[in-house]
Amino acid sequence: MTVATDDTGQALGDKRAPGAVVYPTRKDEGWRYAPHQDLRRLVFGPPPSEIAEIPAELEARIPDVGGPVIVVVNGRVDRSRSDLDRLPAGLHIRSLADVLDDPPDAVATHLQSAGAGPVDAFEALGRIHGRDGAYIHLEENANLDQPIQLVDISIPARASDATCTGVVVHLSDGSEATMVETHLGAGTSFGGSTTRTSVTMGARSSLTHLVLQDAPAEQIQLSRIEVVQMGESEYRGRSFNLGASYGRIDYQVRLIEEEATADLSGLYFGSGNQTLDQQVNIIHHAGNCTSRQRFRGVLDGQSTGVFSGGIAVSPGANGTDAEQTNHNLLLSTRAEVNSQPRLEILADEVACAHGATVGQLDEDALYYLRSRGVPADEARSLLIAGFADQTVDEVEIENLRTWVIARLGHGHA
Amino acid sequence: MLKIEKLTAAVGGTQILKGLDLTIGEGEVHAVMGPNGSGKSTLAHALAGRDGYQIGGTITFDGANLLDMVPEERAVAGLFMGFQYPVEIPGVNNMYFLRTALNSVRKARGESEIGARDFLDLARQAMDLVDMKQDFLNRAVNAGFSGGEKKRNEILQMAIMQPRLAVLDETDSGLDIDALQIVASGINSLRSADRSMLVITHYQRLLDYVKPDFVHVLVDGRIVESGDHTLAGHLEDHGYAGFLHHDPSLAGQPT
Repeated sequence: MTVATDDTGQALGDKRAPGAVVYPTRKDEGWRYAPHQDLRRLVFGPPPSEIAEIPAELEARIPDVGGPVIVVVNGRVDRSRSDLDRLPAGLHIRSLADVLDDPPDAVATHLQSAGAGPVDAFEALGRIHGRDGAYIHLEENANLDQPIQLVDISIPARASDATCTGVVVHLSDGSEATMVETHLGAGTSFGGSTTRTSVTMGARSSLTHLVLQDAPAEQIQLSRIEVVQMGESEYRGRSFNLGASYGRIDYQVRLIEEEATADLSGLYFGSGNQTLDQQVNIIHHAGNCTSRQRFRGVLDGQSTGVFSGGIAVSPGANGTDAEQTNHNLLLSTRAEVNSQPRLEILADEVACAHGATVGQLDEDALYYLRSRGVPADEARSLLIAGFADQTVDEVEIENLRTWVIARLGHGHA
Repeated sequence: MLKIEKLTAAVGGTQILKGLDLTIGEGEVHAVMGPNGSGKSTLAHALAGRDGYQIGGTITFDGANLLDMVPEERAVAGLFMGFQYPVEIPGVNNMYFLRTALNSVRKARGESEIGARDFLDLARQAMDLVDMKQDFLNRAVNAGFSGGEKKRNEILQMAIMQPRLAVLDETDSGLDIDALQIVASGINSLRSADRSMLVITHYQRLLDYVKPDFVHVLVDGRIVESGDHTLAGHLEDHGYAGFLHHDPSLAGQPT
């Protein structure tokens, strides 16, 4: 993250040195719509030594998708709720803290400082405090028939408490898995959590990665997902950014060998004063890779949606096929959306397409439904559901579709 | 069953219907024909209850004041409008939509809701009427449908809703001859002694298949001529030109 000046416009001077930790500001493109004052109120620290009690109503909201589960509470693995042994053949799940002494390569890379420039404060805090979480490894050609679920729970003990979770996923060549990453929380205190998930995908490996963010309205939730893809690997990201006062999902996907595919879709569904921010960066380092971004937003009340979608094509990455769409539905005159495509194409023979729309509920469609006897409020819900379902329908796990649909407040399947 | 008196409709400052009178009896099929801009679609939307018109006059439907009702109440009362331009609704499943529509109406009438299995049986029978395949139900409402498919979907909805009065707004527009015959046979199979129809059209060709009991000529916001089905043939041969400067006081006089 490069920051030239701070909030007051003052030059950062030596803070620009490599490794310097800088808080992002409004002038930072990727953080333009973030609530900077609230972000600076967060107090990060190591996880509390005691595992917080999980209220029953929160427990009930954890989606049941079958398969092994790992539960992280305030940045620490809750071993009593996690399946760390008796795992299917070819799958290894360890608590991240347990492998720090002798870290596998993927974990070592995860913990290393990135790049030569200044470091974004949240990333740095994640490296410092995000010392627990999950290390998930699939052996060569392992093929899981049940999803792996990571449940990340934030229950601030005191106002402003913020914790960090680290997740490292390593898919060896030819392996195949589905992972569900769910961010939930409880309590009425202001607080926050950050999660940094590093995914390394070997040749021909395949991962479907679902992210459900439904933190309480008092909390801030920051997710950063870094994906590195080798040849012919397939990453399918499905994100549902629903909760938190500020919910952020930040994808950094690097296609570093040929014929890799990254297919991302997401839904953000805001109300009240929420800000739901999607930052997507897909970098085509190698040629003949495919990337897709399909994001939809529904914004009610005074909520703000952000979609900033980047496609970068490196010199020589010929045969790149990249597409991006972003459709938004505004349900209130005070809701807003900021949609920005960022295309940086430095290769020839590239197919890149992008398109964005912002609209309101279609009056003609409302009239059509009402003329068939559907009451006005139901017709409205049906149209909102129809818009959102185009993303929900991409989820292959039925229980998760039901979970999302119930959360969106419309009851049909 | 339907009595329209001195109906006026304006959009913004533009008067479109200028005192239209029309009475439809039980089980009768009436056709309203007219040139472009005469107010045909406005008449259909005034009956269905679309927002945005300033309406005057009265419409009595089965003894009730139709103009007091919002669109969904008109559907509950038994009115169905077949749209000239059926709306595409991506993301909303056609079957779900049809069942929601039927159950909304049933619920409002105090009837029990119909279950998924019974509905499917009902939908299958209705689909046979308009020669539709099962996959129609699994697609999003009208999304990506051809012109003919959209119009068949309208008639399918009519078959499921079983209205007291069907207002069909240019159901023949945009149809090739095969689709026209399918749609017409669907309409004919839904004719019955307790269902009336108002067929709005620019051309005679639909009326070759759906033979109306009465034909009315709508010009400049008023009915200027009424007659039996032979009037449609007269219009086909001579066009609307003879009516364009017609004295409205002659409306309702025999031809």
